[in-house]
Amino acid sequence: MVYITSWDEFVERSAQLFRADPDSTRYVMKYRHCDGKLVLKVTDNKECLKFKTDQAQDAKKMEKLNNIFFTLMSRGPDADVSKLQGKNRQKHNQGKEGEGNNSFVGC
Amino acid sequence: MVLLQLDPFLNELTSMFEQSTEKGTVWVTLKRSSLKSKVQRNKMATAGEPVEYRCLIRATNGKKTISTSVGAKDHQRFQASYTTILKAHMTALKKRERKDKKKAAGADKKEGSKKP
Repeated sequence: MVYITSWDEFVERSAQLFRADPDSTRYVMKYRHCDGKLVLKVTDNKECLKFKTDQAQDAKKMEKLNNIFFTLMSRGPDADVSKLQGKNRQKHNQGKEGEGNNSFVGC
Repeated sequence: MVLLQLDPFLNELTSMFEQSTEKGTVWVTLKRSSLKSKVQRNKMATAGEPVEYRCLIRATNGKKTISTSVGAKDHQRFQASYTTILKAHMTALKKRERKDKKKAAGADKKEGSKKP
């Protein structure tokens, strides 16, 4: 299965997939409380993107992705989601810088 | 497949989450749909009428399936309620260990001040 490790990449590619074929693209969420796992899938029946996690912070990110999809699906693929995505990017950039520094310190 | 109105759907979804705490899965699917057949859609397109699209939401616990459809007007309200339900029930996920982050951030700051 095509599991994507980067959240931003998953969001970017899912949005692209949806815009390319809005009628056949669907977004599936699977949650297992007993295992504490969350899996997200976006597919247009030709290509499939998946993201799995057990982190609470990813649940928050998923909520933002839900907002993006709701907007795209009910208002149409041309709906403006740049505001929703922009916030994600800023936060993730800060996170990335932090992670980069951490690895440097480790060495 | 049970097609419900927005609020009953949310209530049923909540009970699904509660029932599958010990064992089981909850699946939620989002798809864009106009709820009309292809023939009807083509007719509407040629007639010049705008095809109204809605967001179809399906939820299942493996045994029972419920669904609802959300239009552009209701989507804000549904989104808010949906987010609340998810936050309330997705408690089994691991929380990030902030202690490591803080220590690392503290060490970074020290390093940053030493460098220049």
